[in-house]
Amino acid sequence: MKDIHVETSREEQDTKSLKGTLFSVMMVGAFIAFMWFGVFWLFMERY
Amino acid sequence: MKMHRYEEIWLVSAVALIVIFMLITGYQTFALGMGPPSHKETIDPQQVDTTAPFDEPGVYQIGDNEYEVIMTLEAFRFVPGDIEVPVGATVTFTMTSKDVIHGFQIAGTNANAMVMPGYIQKVTQTFHEPGEYLVLCNEYCGAGHHVMSTSITVR
Repeated sequence: MKDIHVETSREEQDTKSLKGTLFSVMMVGAFIAFMWFGVFWLFMERY
Repeated sequence: MKMHRYEEIWLVSAVALIVIFMLITGYQTFALGMGPPSHKETIDPQQVDTTAPFDEPGVYQIGDNEYEVIMTLEAFRFVPGDIEVPVGATVTFTMTSKDVIHGFQIAGTNANAMVMPGYIQKVTQTFHEPGEYLVLCNEYCGAGHHVMSTSITVR
Protein backbone atom coordinates (compact mmCIF):
# COMPACT_ATOMS: atom_id res chain seq x y z
CA MET A 1 0.00 0.00 0.00
CA LYS A 2 1.27 3.40 -0.93
CA ASP A 3 1.74 5.96 1.81
CA ILE A 4 -0.31 9.06 0.96
CA HIS A 5 0.28 10.85 4.26
CA VAL A 6 1.07 14.50 3.67
CA GLU A 7 3.77 15.80 5.93
CA THR A 8 2.76 18.86 7.92
CA SER A 9 4.81 20.57 10.56
CA ARG A 10 4.09 19.45 14.12
CA GLU A 11 3.39 23.04 15.19
CA GLU A 12 0.77 23.58 12.51
CA GLN A 13 -0.98 20.29 13.26
CA ASP A 14 -1.18 21.07 17.00
CA THR A 15 -2.54 24.57 16.44
CA LYS A 16 -5.32 23.28 14.26
CA SER A 17 -6.34 20.53 16.64
CA LEU A 18 -6.42 22.69 19.81
CA LYS A 19 -8.16 25.81 18.56
CA GLY A 20 -11.60 24.56 19.58
CA THR A 21 -10.28 23.39 22.93
CA LEU A 22 -8.77 26.80 23.64
CA PHE A 23 -12.07 28.46 22.77
CA SER A 24 -14.04 26.09 25.02
CA VAL A 25 -11.65 26.50 27.93
CA MET A 26 -11.80 30.29 27.59
CA MET A 27 -15.61 30.17 27.53
CA VAL A 28 -15.67 28.14 30.76
CA GLY A 29 -13.13 30.56 32.25
CA ALA A 30 -15.21 33.58 31.25
CA PHE A 31 -18.32 31.96 32.77
CA ILE A 32 -16.51 31.28 36.08
CA ALA A 33 -15.10 34.83 36.19
CA PHE A 34 -18.51 36.34 35.38
CA MET A 35 -20.21 34.34 38.14
CA TRP A 36 -17.48 35.12 40.66
CA PHE A 37 -17.54 38.85 40.01
CA GLY A 38 -21.36 38.78 40.00
CA VAL A 39 -21.43 37.33 43.51
CA PHE A 40 -18.67 39.71 44.56
CA TRP A 41 -20.66 42.69 43.27
CA LEU A 42 -23.78 41.47 45.11
CA PHE A 43 -21.82 41.13 48.35
CA MET A 44 -20.32 44.63 48.10
CA GLU A 45 -23.72 46.07 47.16
CA ARG A 46 -25.29 44.68 50.33
CA TYR A 47 -22.45 45.51 52.69
CA MET B 1 8.58 18.96 28.45
CA LYS B 2 7.15 20.21 25.20
CA MET B 3 3.94 22.04 25.81
CA HIS B 4 1.55 23.37 23.23
CA ARG B 5 1.30 27.16 23.04
CA TYR B 6 -2.47 27.10 23.65
CA GLU B 7 -2.02 24.80 26.60
CA GLU B 8 0.34 27.34 28.15
CA ILE B 9 -2.21 30.10 27.59
CA TRP B 10 -5.06 28.38 29.39
CA LEU B 11 -2.91 27.04 32.22
CA VAL B 12 -1.48 30.50 32.92
CA SER B 13 -4.97 32.06 32.63
CA ALA B 14 -6.50 29.54 35.05
CA VAL B 15 -3.76 30.03 37.65
CA ALA B 16 -3.97 33.82 37.24
CA LEU B 17 -7.74 33.74 37.76
CA ILE B 18 -7.40 31.73 41.00
CA VAL B 19 -4.62 34.02 42.26
CA ILE B 20 -6.73 37.13 41.49
CA PHE B 21 -9.74 35.66 43.35
CA MET B 22 -7.54 34.83 46.35
CA LEU B 23 -5.96 38.29 46.42
CA ILE B 24 -9.35 40.03 46.35
CA THR B 25 -10.77 37.73 49.04
CA GLY B 26 -7.64 38.15 51.19
CA TYR B 27 -7.76 41.94 50.85
CA GLN B 28 -11.46 41.96 51.79
CA THR B 29 -10.94 39.78 54.84
CA PHE B 30 -7.73 41.21 56.30
CA ALA B 31 -7.67 44.83 55.08
CA LEU B 32 -11.37 45.66 54.94
CA GLY B 33 -12.43 43.43 57.85
CA MET B 34 -15.15 41.70 55.88
CA GLY B 35 -14.38 38.20 57.13
CA PRO B 36 -17.15 35.80 58.06
CA PRO B 37 -18.47 35.99 61.64
CA SER B 38 -16.40 33.76 63.89
CA HIS B 39 -16.27 35.13 67.37
CA LYS B 40 -14.55 32.64 69.64
CA GLU B 41 -16.28 33.30 72.93
CA THR B 42 -18.10 30.67 74.88
CA ILE B 43 -20.89 30.75 77.45
CA ASP B 44 -22.71 28.20 79.59
CA PRO B 45 -25.96 27.72 77.60
CA GLN B 46 -27.92 26.88 80.76
CA GLN B 47 -26.87 30.09 82.51
CA VAL B 48 -27.59 32.57 79.70
CA ASP B 49 -30.23 34.47 81.68
CA THR B 50 -27.84 35.12 84.55
CA THR B 51 -24.67 35.73 82.53
CA ALA B 52 -23.72 39.28 81.52
CA PRO B 53 -24.41 40.81 79.07
CA PHE B 54 -27.25 38.41 78.20
CA ASP B 55 -29.03 38.97 81.52
CA GLU B 56 -30.21 42.28 80.02
CA PRO B 57 -30.92 41.89 76.30
CA GLY B 58 -31.58 45.15 74.47
CA VAL B 59 -30.28 47.87 72.20
CA TYR B 60 -27.40 49.95 73.58
CA GLN B 61 -25.77 53.00 72.04
CA ILE B 62 -21.99 52.56 72.17
CA GLY B 63 -20.85 55.48 70.01
CA ASP B 64 -21.80 58.09 67.47
CA ASN B 65 -24.53 56.28 65.53
CA GLU B 66 -23.08 52.98 66.71
CA TYR B 67 -25.19 50.48 68.54
CA GLU B 68 -24.81 47.10 70.14
CA VAL B 69 -27.73 44.73 70.33
CA ILE B 70 -27.47 42.11 73.04
CA MET B 71 -29.69 39.36 71.75
CA THR B 72 -30.73 35.91 72.88
CA LEU B 73 -32.30 33.41 70.53
CA GLU B 74 -34.63 30.72 71.73
CA ALA B 75 -37.42 28.56 70.34
CA PHE B 76 -39.01 30.44 68.58
CA ARG B 77 -38.13 34.08 69.09
CA PHE B 78 -35.46 36.75 69.06
CA VAL B 79 -35.08 38.84 72.25
CA PRO B 80 -35.33 41.80 71.93
CA GLY B 81 -37.90 41.80 69.15
CA ASP B 82 -38.70 44.87 67.04
CA ILE B 83 -35.43 46.81 67.09
CA GLU B 84 -35.31 50.43 65.98
CA VAL B 85 -32.17 52.30 64.89
CA PRO B 86 -31.50 55.52 62.92
CA VAL B 87 -30.36 55.54 59.28
CA GLY B 88 -26.63 55.01 58.84
CA ALA B 89 -26.30 53.21 62.18
CA THR B 90 -23.62 50.58 62.52
CA VAL B 91 -25.08 47.83 64.64
CA THR B 92 -23.17 45.00 66.24
CA PHE B 93 -25.34 42.06 67.17
CA THR B 94 -23.96 40.03 70.07
CA MET B 95 -25.95 36.85 70.21
CA THR B 96 -26.22 33.47 71.82
CA SER B 97 -28.76 30.68 71.84
CA LYS B 98 -30.58 29.39 74.91
CA ASP B 99 -31.56 26.03 73.47
CA VAL B 100 -30.79 24.70 69.99
CA ILE B 101 -28.93 25.99 66.94
CA HIS B 102 -30.64 29.02 65.43
CA GLY B 103 -29.85 31.19 62.45
CA PHE B 104 -29.72 34.96 62.24
CA GLN B 105 -30.23 36.45 58.82
CA ILE B 106 -31.20 40.00 57.96
CA ALA B 107 -32.89 39.67 54.57
CA GLY B 108 -31.35 41.83 51.85
CA THR B 109 -28.03 42.28 53.68
CA ASN B 110 -24.90 40.22 54.21
CA ALA B 111 -25.68 39.68 57.88
CA ASN B 112 -26.04 35.94 58.17
CA ALA B 113 -24.81 33.81 61.05
CA MET B 114 -25.34 30.54 62.81
CA VAL B 115 -26.06 31.03 66.51
CA MET B 116 -25.14 27.99 68.56
CA PRO B 117 -25.82 27.25 72.23
CA GLY B 118 -22.59 27.64 74.19
CA TYR B 119 -21.09 30.19 71.79
CA ILE B 120 -21.31 33.95 71.48
CA GLN B 121 -21.73 35.15 67.93
CA LYS B 122 -21.05 38.68 66.68
CA VAL B 123 -22.20 40.23 63.43
CA THR B 124 -21.88 43.87 62.42
CA GLN B 125 -24.12 45.53 59.88
CA THR B 126 -24.47 49.14 58.74
CA PHE B 127 -27.96 50.19 57.70
CA HIS B 128 -27.60 52.73 54.89
CA GLU B 129 -31.23 52.74 53.77
CA PRO B 130 -34.33 53.41 55.87
CA GLY B 131 -36.98 50.74 55.96
CA GLU B 132 -38.10 47.62 57.71
CA TYR B 133 -35.65 44.75 57.59
CA LEU B 134 -36.88 41.22 58.04
CA VAL B 135 -34.86 39.01 60.38
CA LEU B 136 -35.21 35.28 59.96
CA CYS B 137 -34.00 32.13 61.64
CA ASN B 138 -32.45 30.12 58.84
CA GLU B 139 -31.49 26.97 60.76
CA TYR B 140 -34.28 24.49 61.29
CA CYS B 141 -34.87 24.74 65.05
CA GLY B 142 -38.13 22.88 65.66
CA ALA B 143 -41.85 22.81 64.97
CA GLY B 144 -42.19 26.60 65.16
CA HIS B 145 -39.14 27.40 63.05
CA HIS B 146 -41.22 28.97 60.29
CA VAL B 147 -42.68 31.58 62.66
CA MET B 148 -39.33 32.56 64.15
CA SER B 149 -38.80 36.04 62.77
CA THR B 150 -38.61 39.64 63.83
CA SER B 151 -37.88 42.99 62.22
CA ILE B 152 -35.45 45.88 62.46
CA THR B 153 -36.86 49.31 61.73
CA VAL B 154 -34.43 51.86 60.33
CA ARG B 155 -35.69 55.46 60.42
